[in-house]
Amino acid sequence: MLAPVLQVLQFALLIAGAVALLEGWLHYHFTRHEKAWFLPVGVLGTVTLVLAGAGALAGGSVEPARLLSLGLGTVAAECAVALFFKHVVRGRHSLPFMLLAPAALGLGLLIAYPLVFEVYLAFHDLKLTTIMAWSRTGELPFVGLKHFGKVFTSSPLSEVSFWQLLLRTVWWTFVNVFFHVAGGFVMALLLNSVTRFKGVYRMLLIVPWAMPQVVAVLAMRGEFHSQYGFVNVMLTKLASAAPFLGDLGVGPVQWLGQHPFLTCTIINVWLGIPFMAVVILGGLQSISRHYYDAASIDGASAFQQFRMITLPLIRPVLAPAVTLGTVWTFNNINVIYLVTGQAGGTEDADILVSALYKAAFAFYRYSYSAAFALIVFLLLFTFSMVWLKWSKGSESLYD
Amino acid sequence: MIETPRSRDILKAHHRREALKTLLVHGALILACGVCVYPLLRILAVSLRPGDRIISTDLAIIPQGATWISYIRVFGETNFLFWLWNSLVITVATSVVGVALASTAAYAFSRFRFPGQKLGLSFLLGTQMLPAGMLILPLFLMIMRLKLMNTYLGMVIAYSVSSLPFSIWILKGYYDTIPRSLEEAALVDGTSVFGAFYRIVLPLSTPALAIAFLFNFTQAWNEYLVARVILTDSFKYTWTLGLFDLQGQYLTQWGMFAAASLLVTMPVMAVFLYSSKWLLTGMTLGGVKG
Amino acid sequence: MASVTFKSITKRFGGNEVLHDVSLRIADKEFLVLVGPSGCGKSTLLRMLAGLEETSEGEIHIGEKLVNHLPPRGREIAMVFQDYALYPHMTVEENMSFGLRLKGIAPDEVDRRVLRAAAILQIEPLLKRTPRQLSGGQRQRVAIGRAIVREPKVFLFDEPLSNLDAKLREEMRIEIAKLHQKLATTIIYVTHDQVEAMTLATRIAVVNGGRIQQVGTPTEVFGRPENMFVAGFIGSPTMNFIEGELQLADGGLRFKTEGVDVPVLGGTGGEPAGPAVLGVRPEAIAIERGEARDGAVPAEIEVIELLGYRKNVHVKVAGVKALASVGAAFGGEPGERVGLRFDPAGVHLFEKATGRRIR
Repeated sequence: MLAPVLQVLQFALLIAGAVALLEGWLHYHFTRHEKAWFLPVGVLGTVTLVLAGAGALAGGSVEPARLLSLGLGTVAAECAVALFFKHVVRGRHSLPFMLLAPAALGLGLLIAYPLVFEVYLAFHDLKLTTIMAWSRTGELPFVGLKHFGKVFTSSPLSEVSFWQLLLRTVWWTFVNVFFHVAGGFVMALLLNSVTRFKGVYRMLLIVPWAMPQVVAVLAMRGEFHSQYGFVNVMLTKLASAAPFLGDLGVGPVQWLGQHPFLTCTIINVWLGIPFMAVVILGGLQSISRHYYDAASIDGASAFQQFRMITLPLIRPVLAPAVTLGTVWTFNNINVIYLVTGQAGGTEDADILVSALYKAAFAFYRYSYSAAFALIVFLLLFTFSMVWLKWSKGSESLYD
Repeated sequence: MIETPRSRDILKAHHRREALKTLLVHGALILACGVCVYPLLRILAVSLRPGDRIISTDLAIIPQGATWISYIRVFGETNFLFWLWNSLVITVATSVVGVALASTAAYAFSRFRFPGQKLGLSFLLGTQMLPAGMLILPLFLMIMRLKLMNTYLGMVIAYSVSSLPFSIWILKGYYDTIPRSLEEAALVDGTSVFGAFYRIVLPLSTPALAIAFLFNFTQAWNEYLVARVILTDSFKYTWTLGLFDLQGQYLTQWGMFAAASLLVTMPVMAVFLYSSKWLLTGMTLGGVKG
Repeated sequence: MASVTFKSITKRFGGNEVLHDVSLRIADKEFLVLVGPSGCGKSTLLRMLAGLEETSEGEIHIGEKLVNHLPPRGREIAMVFQDYALYPHMTVEENMSFGLRLKGIAPDEVDRRVLRAAAILQIEPLLKRTPRQLSGGQRQRVAIGRAIVREPKVFLFDEPLSNLDAKLREEMRIEIAKLHQKLATTIIYVTHDQVEAMTLATRIAVVNGGRIQQVGTPTEVFGRPENMFVAGFIGSPTMNFIEGELQLADGGLRFKTEGVDVPVLGGTGGEPAGPAVLGVRPEAIAIERGEARDGAVPAEIEVIELLGYRKNVHVKVAGVKALASVGAAFGGEPGERVGLRFDPAGVHLFEKATGRRIR
């Protein structure tokens, strides 16, 4: 048990050290820009840092030629940066940038850089047969737009096509969000109308959301087991208790085998309702009682009150929740992946993002899935922009 | 007003209708609660079943011959303790790093005006639009090249910034509510600008820091997809991987799966239920501002 | 203890200039009140002195020392904020000692100073409480106490009483006046309330539109306002203004407008004749019942408000509304035509075009 603790301490030191170096470097550039020795000392320090870092990463075995080119590149880059600090920045805004630096570095290295890397991958050819060579040399053959073309012409997995996936994703997102909001509304209205046991109900209702998703999904998957799952056990009992229902076709169903998409949808609806219910309940509780008093004196029926007061007033709460919910549902790999399993399983439930994950990590088509990912990203990005513009435009009505 | 027999009847009927309505509402709520909680109870049921009856169509919550055997087997026959420990180390390290980075960055966004500020905030929001799984591939390849597969460090690196945008939004929202005059008073009292942040703003933000920490914690604790790719050694698994493998392979391991599930779920759920109200405020805050 | 000097201060927010070339010298031990309507730049001036805002142009000196470039902690000042800005996570005692502890002053010296300040302000029983547990007036005292313990060269008060209710405000006003006597230090106090300014200040600086309109003792500012803004801003109820014409007649200066013809005392004849504004404070108006005669100004009563010890009589004179403050025994009725007499010492004349004082 001691080794892991040491390892943890090592990380802490590593991260603290990296942050300290970064802040020291920035502090130097922000505060010493007026000194005559600013540029030479800056270059010397930065080159030392970069070369030491590169040496440490490579375990001390870097070719001299590479070291030289890295060193010269750093000199050039540092000169540019130092001149920028000396003539443009001149010490202004030092504090916010120093506060931001660690997070910016993290986001840059772990989100921005991977995105660039993803683009690089999409235009080159990395797959199971080339990965060993790549990890030695770091070089890949350039193939241009080949993978982008293949996304539309060949299946990302083994059978299902891109267009099928796209259609299914849209359907999946729509159905799930619709039932989340509808179910959430019913739950919230019910909860809002009781006074007794409200806290208890609320706590029990958010259990699916509170459970770790892996546990929740796997447990639900168990309940859809063809023989021992709760659903089929009930259906069997129902059919034998009331034979006429059995005649109507009520009976055990091969949920996972024949209707994986339906199963995933049911599970995800079950998972997603609590979040919406709580959000909507929060919105309902924030609507002043006075509006309803005024409306009922004006003679509005319960339904009219819901339509004319509740719905419009809850929009500012609902709109962002629906936006979030849509993106989350679109992006939900967990449910589909955990229910349908890994490679060789059914493809009848896959949506874009789950196919993306499987293409990379079950079929090992790295470059292909990079191209695929970029296309999905463009789709989602376009959709988000249009949606945000539209919802902002209508939100301004209530500001 | 005089209560005539007739008006008493009208009122009686009215009360009866109201009572019926209340009854129906409670009935519906109890049913809904049942649907929400039942799968959890079923896990409990399976975890308590004796070895020869793990697989059965029995629906009882407390099965006949209930026993703790599955719990004992989880510890004895699987690497469950390793999984828990791995998850704990990775999750705590991730959350600490994430909150530390977010707390200062959010302060810069909340209190200063600097070039690139709007762009930075849009970038944070934009990261939420990335398709899930898009970043896993390049991260996996980077971690492979850095020879960090099957290491805690690799996992912490892969996780550390995933909750950062959200944490920054939550903390920025909270900082925005702290009056600036407090920091000004501290400046007059003799602190530096960073000192005012460190001595006044940070201590006052403990609730928000706790929420950000919890958010980071639950995200990393429950993560599956990245872990699946980076961890291949069963001793290095996080509990999510271990659980998936338990459930996936043989029906006979259901008992252990159920027992392990309950063991990891209970503490997390307790914390979640306790903090859900604040967590939600943070979430919708981030959403609304977008 | 120190004097404070503002030299040609200009402040811009973006392209928006909020202070224009302001110069002001505050002597040692003076209680200077900066008074003006909200948004006039008075708080900005104070915050620049505290080091909370950058100075766009000009110099600020505390004593002989230039402080433009110093952060707040290098300026030896203490400040009381409008919302008190007590640290919610510290007790009263910790709040008061925070600055001293930062300076590294010995703990027993810290305790001594905190206890002394607490004694002066009578907040000893509150020392262990948190700000949340205090009332508004108590918080105010703690905020002042926090400033006292630092023993600064200059005290800055930024609208410290505006969050208190009327009764407490009066009490605290007296406390602050007493404090100035006791501590004998330089105090610069910002407020929009001219009553606070009048009662507290040794000198008042009236600020409007980013410029200092007049600096003087309360008596000077009240008795000889330099311009119409100061005249209208200082004094409650506010001064009445009547537009008209300044004319030379019979070797004397007279102010005339429809139905009004009053002699102006002390006119040397050197003053320019022409459009002018007559200002007269409500207390300087006497009302004679019945039609105006013997040079009284004719007016009609519109509304009478009884304040208990006095009556506010709203009248219409020369087509404009005016207010006269008279004894409660006054028996007029709304609609009644009356004659007004202006106390010559209470009459002020301003140039119509510039608003500047003529006499």
